[in-house]
Amino acid sequence: MWKVYKYTLIDLARNKFVGGWMLLLLGISFGLFQLEDQPVKAMLSLSQVLLALVPLVASVFSIVYLYDAMEFTELLAVQPLRRSKILGGQMLALGTALVIGVLAGAGIPLLAFLPDGASLTLLLSALMLTLVFVAIGALIAIRNREKARGVGLGLVVWFLFVLVYDAVLLWVMFAFSDYPIEPWIVPLAALDPIDLGRIMVLLKVDLSAMMGYSGAVYEKFFGNATGILVALAALFAWVAAPSAWAFKAFRRKDF
Amino acid sequence: MRITTLARVAALALAASVSGPSVAGTWTVSPDGPLKQLRIAIGSAQPGDTIRVLAGTYPEGTLTVDKPLTLIGVGGPVIDGQQKGDVLLITAPRVTVRGFTIRGTLVSNVNDNAGIKVKEADDARIQDNVVEHCFFAIHAANSRRTVITGNRVLGDPSAPETRQANGIHLWRCSGAEITDNVVQHHRDGIYFEFVTDSHIRRNKSLHNSRYGLHFMFSHRDTYSGNLFQNNGAGVAVMYSKEVDMRHNRFLRNRGASAYGVLLKEINDVTIDSNIFIDNTTAMMVDGCNRAEVKGNTFQGNGWALRLFANAMYCHFEANTFVGNTFDMSTNGNPVYNTFKGNYWDRYKGYDLDRNGTGDVPFRPLSLFAMVNERMPYAVVLSRSLLTGLMDQAERLIPSMTPEGLEDAEPLMKPPHGTRDL
Repeated sequence: MWKVYKYTLIDLARNKFVGGWMLLLLGISFGLFQLEDQPVKAMLSLSQVLLALVPLVASVFSIVYLYDAMEFTELLAVQPLRRSKILGGQMLALGTALVIGVLAGAGIPLLAFLPDGASLTLLLSALMLTLVFVAIGALIAIRNREKARGVGLGLVVWFLFVLVYDAVLLWVMFAFSDYPIEPWIVPLAALDPIDLGRIMVLLKVDLSAMMGYSGAVYEKFFGNATGILVALAALFAWVAAPSAWAFKAFRRKDF
Repeated sequence: MRITTLARVAALALAASVSGPSVAGTWTVSPDGPLKQLRIAIGSAQPGDTIRVLAGTYPEGTLTVDKPLTLIGVGGPVIDGQQKGDVLLITAPRVTVRGFTIRGTLVSNVNDNAGIKVKEADDARIQDNVVEHCFFAIHAANSRRTVITGNRVLGDPSAPETRQANGIHLWRCSGAEITDNVVQHHRDGIYFEFVTDSHIRRNKSLHNSRYGLHFMFSHRDTYSGNLFQNNGAGVAVMYSKEVDMRHNRFLRNRGASAYGVLLKEINDVTIDSNIFIDNTTAMMVDGCNRAEVKGNTFQGNGWALRLFANAMYCHFEANTFVGNTFDMSTNGNPVYNTFKGNYWDRYKGYDLDRNGTGDVPFRPLSLFAMVNERMPYAVVLSRSLLTGLMDQAERLIPSMTPEGLEDAEPLMKPPHGTRDL
């Protein structure tokens, strides 16, 4: 596995896209911190950019990369290698490359301009989202033979999580506002990894507003440090579930 | 023993009286004697005398000061009320109590037992005392020109709210001066009812289970330079006229019904140069007329401003709104209030004529804030792409938010420059 990991990582290092992604993030982050006179405000703008862009780039790039590496993957598959190790190495390498991209591109400016808990939380949720969407991307790439279809599906999934799901959630809130649905809102939001990442940031930045809602569930969830831990655990589940599915699909894949 | 004590007292009293009728006598109470009990010293002293109390613990029960005396603690003597009721009960005018540590009130909901109670006594001066774990700490009723300054009022943080009472409590007083006190872990830090023409300056009211400052029916009072922090419900001011609040700080008052400051039925109030940070709701305006809100800083609050539709002729000018989850919310259409020349960090307009104010108006009430007013649990969606788009669309084509609610001259830069807070 580590050999696959190493060579995939070397290949990714040569890939211009990862470097470009890092530079883009660097540009956006430095630009925002320079434009805004208050670092907190820049951090908040950056959080909106990161929470939308990171999932998009992570999933689409993973999908495209895995399709492009398909011949190499097929070559590996005929070797006496466990298939789980091949995919494990590739996914780990993708995760590593993109995590480094986010760490360098967004992490350095964040920690340079605003070294506090909110920045760290934003960075953490961006990293977790990277891993989640690498896993989702791998799953999509493995389950679809056609590249265009895979990329399209990746875009659809991203759009679903970044916008449509929230709209549905808001509609549910409106439609069922006569019923006691408060306890269901946080678990429902946890079904969307991007919402989870955003809520983690909210818990640091907007705690004062979060405390304003007296629902028992919210108070339990937001009132102490467990909120961030629960969100983090849910994000780990969001990495694990698509990964497991992808491994299962890859094991049975007929090239 | 008893007789010798009395003899000494008599001798001391004589000594005090021979020094002339115009010059007040001085008594010294000390654990080592000869005068060991403050009660006896008070009983023997003449009006106008001074009693010095040396360091030590004096278990006195309820001690009544019924003549104008000056009580001075030297080295922080402790007066213990032994859970009998009030500890120090002042019923005479012109009494000064300075430098004591007071403890041991009886918790009772029938009598408002207090560490120091000023009862129908004018010109009392309560200075530099420590009032520890008392039920009420300093309580004044029906008294004029009470001065309460430099005291440390420390409640019992472990007591349940039912066994807590107010730190500094004034009822039907006028001309009071409450300055430089620290009050913490009580029910209400500072509580006023029917207190007029009074000044409250430079106090710190922290970690109280209900309000840091709570006043009702208290007219013509000024509050300046105070700090209200981490109180269960912040600050509530109700049913009062001509209130002046300046340079106060309202920090981290968080909770479902916690307010930096709650204005309820307040008329003719000036709120100037205060700082509100990290409160759930920084300022709640409910049924308030003619408030002048100027030069305040609202930063990092959940709701900077909740302006109810029953507020009239409130004017908001030169305030700074930065990093709040919601700049404003309302329950209706508060059109009789005006905004002018505030700084809003959400303002995305431009200033082509370079006069320092934006050329297009800012609408502080966002669509998402209105949604959230109806469904408070929607707060989980804040800062999402969806709500961002909703607000952006509403700003471009206002359709849901009230028409007249806008700041026509939003500042491009904060009025005091950027405070690093």
